Amino acid sequence: MSNFESTKEYVASEELMAAVNVAIALEKPLLIKGEPGTGKTMLAKAVAKSLNKELIIWNIKSTTKAQDGLYMYDTIQRLYDGQFGEGEVKDISRYIKLGKLGEAFTKDEQVILLIDEIDKADLEFPNDLLWELDQMEFYIHETKESVKAKKRPIVIITSNAEKELPDAFLRRCIFHYIDFPEKELMEEIVKVHYPDVEENLLKNAMDVFYAIRQIKDVRKKPSTSELIDWINALQIGGITADRIKSELPFIGVIVKKDEDLEIAKNNVY
Amino acid sequence: MFTKFFYSCRSKGLEVSLKEWLSLIDALDQGLAGSSLTQFYYVSRMILVKSETDFDKFDQAFEETFKGVKHENMVTKSMLRWLDKSELTDMVSEEDKFRMNEQDGLFHDMEKEDVEQKFKDRLRDQDSEHNGGSFWIGAMGKTYFGNTGGMAGGIRVGGTTGYQTAFSVVGAKKYRDFREDKVIDNRQFQLALRKLRQFSTKLDIPKSELDIDGTIDKTCNNGGCLQIVMEKPRKNAVKLLLLMDSGGTMIPYTNLLSELFQSVHKSNHYKDVKTYFFHNCIYSHVYKTPECDNGDWIETEWMFRNLDSDYKVIIVGDAAMAPEELYSDTGNYRGPNDGLSGYEWLTLMKRHYKRIVWLNPKMAPGHAPWREAETAVKELMPMYKLTVKGLNEAMKTLMVNR
Repeated sequence: MSNFESTKEYVASEELMAAVNVAIALEKPLLIKGEPGTGKTMLAKAVAKSLNKELIIWNIKSTTKAQDGLYMYDTIQRLYDGQFGEGEVKDISRYIKLGKLGEAFTKDEQVILLIDEIDKADLEFPNDLLWELDQMEFYIHETKESVKAKKRPIVIITSNAEKELPDAFLRRCIFHYIDFPEKELMEEIVKVHYPDVEENLLKNAMDVFYAIRQIKDVRKKPSTSELIDWINALQIGGITADRIKSELPFIGVIVKKDEDLEIAKNNVY
Repeated sequence: MFTKFFYSCRSKGLEVSLKEWLSLIDALDQGLAGSSLTQFYYVSRMILVKSETDFDKFDQAFEETFKGVKHENMVTKSMLRWLDKSELTDMVSEEDKFRMNEQDGLFHDMEKEDVEQKFKDRLRDQDSEHNGGSFWIGAMGKTYFGNTGGMAGGIRVGGTTGYQTAFSVVGAKKYRDFREDKVIDNRQFQLALRKLRQFSTKLDIPKSELDIDGTIDKTCNNGGCLQIVMEKPRKNAVKLLLLMDSGGTMIPYTNLLSELFQSVHKSNHYKDVKTYFFHNCIYSHVYKTPECDNGDWIETEWMFRNLDSDYKVIIVGDAAMAPEELYSDTGNYRGPNDGLSGYEWLTLMKRHYKRIVWLNPKMAPGHAPWREAETAVKELMPMYKLTVKGLNEAMKTLMVNR
């Protein structure tokens, strides 16, 4: 069995690698929680790349229902076809469209299924998927067929902890919490994106970044992805390292709220 | 040995189920932990623990089982409660703190180890709340331990950092910020407020709206013959009246209140939201703006007439009125009383609006007879602390049918 490892684009802590591999071995969904911008969604892409498997992403919105992931019965199309006498109206299966979960089940090769931001959906949503994720099969009532996974997909679920997930659902998952990266790991992460970044620039930018995160009354703490964008902006702008702390150039990339901007300017150096 | 670990986890309050336990055994059978203790720690944690807030409990159980380490005399919950006096920090002036350190304190030149030893001794012997002293662990004191104290360097017990000089933080958990009782931010406010909607769709109302999707489905399935499906209206029937204390003793909570205010207004799912302000207590007028300028107000009775009793009312304030502000019919020093005392006005509120809660950012835990006004208001209407947990409970109370 192949193991998940850090890729060129994604730096994973040892703990996280273990979590991914245990989830694969035990055939259980991997639940990833963490602050926004800590690379939860990126993880699935990295796993897919590292294991060389196809990635299917199911983005959850507040209106998403569990049924959407399984299949949709396009009744309207069938009605049209029936009225105009087109197509094989009798054949219901023509009007069944598989959702993301159904798509993952019917692939011949094992795929990675990312259920992104599961906490966005209704409270009952995870419970409605228990059977499907456990047994990796579902039943289409209209055609009286059941769809069973040919190759059990590797399921990765992310959550921003907006809602508490139901216990029954949690019991079935492997859990990993992505901590906010310490300075050393952060340096490594930045260098993955910009290997040639100048040392002093990186150091000063990180000092400012962590200083802002330290300020108690900042409303929205800057995240990893914002730091990466900021460093990119600094490089493109040709800002020299010594100007970063005194002028806070392009600070809008990491601080997004007016109130925070004031606080940051007053507090950092 | 392993079974012992299972029970150790459960005794620390981790709700480890048999299913999860069997998964762990399965993982071990597959050799996923290798032969390394660290690896075993990760594997067991990722399978048994499902929330970062529980990592700490898990660590204790793990240590206890595998290192033979017993946590001696943990800082108890009640002690943390005695010490939760973060609001007092502002009251100790920099000057007092300076003077305290000037004096020859009891433990002034003690080494770190000595302080820790003394701390352990006190932990063993102390059985009640002590604040402001120089011997026991307590708030506002001048020993090396406790919190909100003035001593530079020492052990802080729970609470929030006052002067950030404690060299060792006992009982403060790394993941503490996620706990339910943390004072909330905007997003969490909104989520809690959403609860008001969730319950409202479950109200027992007639099916009065055409369910278009359902009708199409049924009709198509019926071979094109129309079949109507009706459903309950999805609109939120909740009407909300928000009354906020402004100025004076509420100034430290300005940020928190503005978060709540914004959350309520961002939640556009209510049928109607009205916000008015008051100063310390509600009298014959409520103000339209937080500045509480005389004249820029509406009569409270007008509010009663125009906002009928099915409005759900949230009052936010610290309920720290002086006795005369609450009980005297001339107690309103900013405006007219109109012959009734603050308490009587609040009683009227309570009588008019059936669903009413009071949110208090600095509510005293449990029974607090020394906060006279707070106790009186508490008896009048349900009061909750302005935290995620408190707000959730308050929302529940607002939704309950009498």
